[in-house]
Amino acid sequence: MRAWRIAAIVLTGIGLGLCWNAASGRGFALGGNAFLKAGDQIVEIPAAEAKQRLEQGALVLDARGWEFYKMGHIPGSLNLPMEDFENAFQKLEPKLRGSFDIIVYCAGYGCEASHITVRQLKEKGVHAVILNEGWPAWQDAGYPTREGEQP
Amino acid sequence: MKWLRHPALHGLLGLVVGGVFLYACWDKILEPRKFAAIVYRYQVIGPSQTLGFLPANLLAVTLPWVELLVGALLVTGFWRREAAALAGGLLIVFLAAVGIATAQGIDLQNCGCFSVAEHGGRAAGWTLVAGDLALLLVCAVLALVPARRADAAAPAGAPVAAH
Repeated sequence: MRAWRIAAIVLTGIGLGLCWNAASGRGFALGGNAFLKAGDQIVEIPAAEAKQRLEQGALVLDARGWEFYKMGHIPGSLNLPMEDFENAFQKLEPKLRGSFDIIVYCAGYGCEASHITVRQLKEKGVHAVILNEGWPAWQDAGYPTREGEQP
Repeated sequence: MKWLRHPALHGLLGLVVGGVFLYACWDKILEPRKFAAIVYRYQVIGPSQTLGFLPANLLAVTLPWVELLVGALLVTGFWRREAAALAGGLLIVFLAAVGIATAQGIDLQNCGCFSVAEHGGRAAGWTLVAGDLALLLVCAVLALVPARRADAAAPAGAPVAAH
């Protein structure tokens, strides 16, 4: 067995991967969140800022499913599940259009729901920002949480 | 254990493991963003405040191509021992990542092994670990036990040709 062959396989794979990412049209910027697409103007804010803005009257939206919302959510947040966006949006529309500051969160890294929801809101003319790292970041910061159906 | 050196056995094992790797890489190559999302869930190499997104993104973009090469080499038999050693290494790294994530209480509903679909894929569990250990064993045989040359008459005690 020859070590240089193993190195050659790995290096060729890395090279092909980087070329594919750059040229295939399916790639993404390696330095940022893979959920962000070209042209996205999505703003992500840390948990501390989200808490501060919540205290100043920001509207917080939970983009996870209803079951996850009931298990635990940010106090005061409303559930706008990505899977049922249109229905949920219709119910919340007056509140959403009357809010000057909207923050969306989901299940953290690996969860794309908040990015998709912010894009869908933008299409409806509603501007929102994302809580960076989502629900886990809020929990890790030790900020208050609430269980159940009530916001 | 002469049968372990039989070239036909090595060919068959290479076909099986190589086929698994080729099947595993396909979805990830076509959907690098979704695979990156799965890598994020592991929380082993970020993203985090200190590491940022780069290590996780680099892994998501390059790993499937290494799998593709490993799979192709195992299937064709070219550099088979080296490809098997690398496949074994990848399986060990993967098992370690699953172990670390599980120890941190992360629920990996989709391990990202064969599918990057948000709903679907294979959950991390004992079945997955058992399957990977079986593949690891096959990789060990391919990498550590040299096959006899197919055209050699191979009388008893004849020197083994390096692959």
